[in-house]
Amino acid sequence: MLDTIVKLLNEAGVTAWEIRDVKTRGWEFYFIRHALDQNRVRDVEHITVQVYQLIEDGAWLGTASCELAPTAQEAELRTQIADLAYRATLVKNKPYSLRAPEEAEAAAQAPIDVDAIAADFIRTVREIPETAGEDINSYEIFVSAKTRRILNSAGVDVTESYPDSMLEVVVNARREGHEIELYRNYTSGSCDTEGLRRDLLRTMRYGRDRLAAHPTPALGTADVLFTTSDAVSLYRYFADRLNASMVYRKLSDWRLGEPVAPDFRGDRPTLAALRELPNSSRNRRYDAEGAPIRDTVLLENGVARSYLGTRMFASYLGLEHAFIPTNFAASGGTHTEEELRAGKYLEVVEFSDFQVDSATGDLFGEIRLAYWHDGETVTPVTGGSLSGSMLKLAEEMYLSRESTQYDSWRVPAATLVRGVTVTGVE
Amino acid sequence: MKAPFSAYLNSLRDGLRELIALLRRDYDYVSVLATDSRGLAVRITQRARSVGSETMTTERGIVVRVCRDGQYSEYALNTFDPADPARAAEEICAAFARQAALLRAAGTGVFRTPALDDEPLTLFVEKETQELPETADVRALVEELTALSDRGMTLGKDLIDCMLRAESTHVCKMFLTEKRDLRQSYVYSEGSAVAVANREGRTQIGYESVSGLGGPELFRGLGEKLEKAVEQAEELLDAERIEPGEYEIITSPEVSGLIAHEAFGHGVEMDMFVKNRALGRDYIGRRVGSELVTMHEGALCAENVTSYAFDDEGTLAGDVVEIEEGILRTGICDALSALRLGVKPTGNGKRENFEHKVYTRMTNTIFDSGEDTLEDMIASVEHGYLLEGMESGMEDPKHWGIQCIIKAGREIRNGRFTGKLVAPIIMTGYVPDLLGNISMRSRDREVFGAGGCGKGYKEWVKVSDGGPYLKTKARLG
Repeated sequence: MLDTIVKLLNEAGVTAWEIRDVKTRGWEFYFIRHALDQNRVRDVEHITVQVYQLIEDGAWLGTASCELAPTAQEAELRTQIADLAYRATLVKNKPYSLRAPEEAEAAAQAPIDVDAIAADFIRTVREIPETAGEDINSYEIFVSAKTRRILNSAGVDVTESYPDSMLEVVVNARREGHEIELYRNYTSGSCDTEGLRRDLLRTMRYGRDRLAAHPTPALGTADVLFTTSDAVSLYRYFADRLNASMVYRKLSDWRLGEPVAPDFRGDRPTLAALRELPNSSRNRRYDAEGAPIRDTVLLENGVARSYLGTRMFASYLGLEHAFIPTNFAASGGTHTEEELRAGKYLEVVEFSDFQVDSATGDLFGEIRLAYWHDGETVTPVTGGSLSGSMLKLAEEMYLSRESTQYDSWRVPAATLVRGVTVTGVE
Repeated sequence: MKAPFSAYLNSLRDGLRELIALLRRDYDYVSVLATDSRGLAVRITQRARSVGSETMTTERGIVVRVCRDGQYSEYALNTFDPADPARAAEEICAAFARQAALLRAAGTGVFRTPALDDEPLTLFVEKETQELPETADVRALVEELTALSDRGMTLGKDLIDCMLRAESTHVCKMFLTEKRDLRQSYVYSEGSAVAVANREGRTQIGYESVSGLGGPELFRGLGEKLEKAVEQAEELLDAERIEPGEYEIITSPEVSGLIAHEAFGHGVEMDMFVKNRALGRDYIGRRVGSELVTMHEGALCAENVTSYAFDDEGTLAGDVVEIEEGILRTGICDALSALRLGVKPTGNGKRENFEHKVYTRMTNTIFDSGEDTLEDMIASVEHGYLLEGMESGMEDPKHWGIQCIIKAGREIRNGRFTGKLVAPIIMTGYVPDLLGNISMRSRDREVFGAGGCGKGYKEWVKVSDGGPYLKTKARLG
């Protein structure tokens, strides 16, 4: 099939082309309590083609893309490619060249046993100890083996296979006739039994505490401690603003060699793109355009060091070896978690939906469960919200030296942000 | 013109019928949903432009659903060969046998459910559209959007970009069982105009959208939307932070729609009742809002991006009154959940695409309008805000909490706008309080369909929502 597509692309006389072919063999199991609701199989192939055309004597590069059905006959493919070749002449972008072939570092590739990974997930969730007060309401298991091949007209032709898993779990907690739920969505390469068990037991504790929580006090502003996966949103803000696309489109004004905040009073974060993190669902040798992924420092002690991103935007910024990062590691803490826990602070562990807008810097989240540490006692609280702007808040963040991993992100185990606005309900 | 049904799906029909017959030898119930939805997507900014054929709902593939002894299983594939249905049947049975072995080894029990009804039904629907995405004049569209973006840049002094997105999808779906033969074809489109302004390192974004049932002809409204987006972005640069607290609020139709969606949209998706994940189950027939709250949900209650003729399980589209004068009457339901609950399905069984499972999902979720004028509503506010523009929302059907991220609020004191704009705003609260405090509603209403909706943090589908201006009270931060 791909040979036919390549032949037709070459015959169409387009300036350049890229093909991405992803084959997925996935198993899915859905449970209500621990009874099977449904089992599913996904057996699909998605072929995406992007065509480039130089127009107006090379002054502009146009592009158009489409997905081609793996069952399409040659006549249908020919028509679609002709259409792409035409449509690519309609838009004008600054010219750039596609990735040239480049060898990535070798990596050991274990066979992917979808059956075994799925069985691990089922066993892991079934073995979580439940009580009369906290139990598993329902869960959904998604395990896939994917094989991705990337080709382009400059000679790139790379293939790699990888596992991709997701587990969604809903935990219930109840007390005196009142029941609440806590939602978890874990992504990973394969099943991390110990990590899941640890987090689900912690989730059950949060459920108990939320049922006993008091209204969040109207604190005005407070120091807020992030000790859960919501911390990733804080660090993604830095990664996004170092993306070549954000920089080129002027959505980020961060310049290489310059601090990313005008007045750091807290820790100066360091952020790196990593080719591999243990059991990450995003471990790849090559990015989505076929560029080798390398360990690269993006931000060093608060100073921007590298932009990364797609070939198009990286090229516009004059970056020859940029790539699309997959895994990230944030560090730079100068304190232990215990030191960060001194004094008064609000530790928010459950949000409705914590968000950080990388363009405006705005952050928000409704508090479902937090712990108010007043220096002497710890009180579980619920309700109200956090808000603020990372443009200011990034100036005074304190990172623990200890780290923890959430799929494709390794971040400090605790991050203290000073001066966040807290709308209470008391 | 009528949106023509997919010739590709017609070419699969006989092969799929044979596949169903083959699988029926081993299973109590077999259905197939086959999809062939094609699209057009144009994105124009000052610095990057693209043309594509993929939108949120473009797809081509089939999903086979079977039931044996009360156990439901599905197989999604996009390599079906209509000339060789026996091979597909063999592969499907083999895969399910492997999964059954794994489940047996794990000692897993089954949530048994009777086989779905298979009452005979034939339907062929081709809805009206002026244009089709596959035959649209892409050159003219690109030129028009490029000119709009360029013109937008002249409308404000702090602008760094004006972005236009135009997406149109021709949806074709075929649902087959032994006795059912349903086919539908319709076109929906959505577009957005985004203005990005920056002053002294502070970025603000203005956003306006168009959406509806119809083809690329709908994009002609984007020019007017861009002007509004530019005005918004520039105005937001001068916005202040709100003093957190509880206020009287008037919600614009877009924000009213967000409340409808988050409050009693997700809260009455009845697959959540099966799992005991929604408080709504215990509140049917009870008051959940003021007498001014009436809310409809269904593919038939508006003509917008998800106004189909039948859902992804072959149930005909409906129009359900979920809340009537403040009393919760019913929820919405997919076919399997309906069987489990002993109720009738409402035509709300939707998949992200053929690869995904069916869940109960919203279509059009809309508050009814009332008799008040916006002017009277503003005049009635002592101190509060008119809330405009939605960013996102999150529900908590088990606890009835709600979080809405809102673009901006215009301060009202003693019945008049003060000229002060606050942004951004996080609105939080308890759903029955929010709806229970609704005291006025305007005569007009609008429906918006340019966004998507997830279940938890996945399963993205098209939905629309809306309503009139509503006056209530909420906590803002």
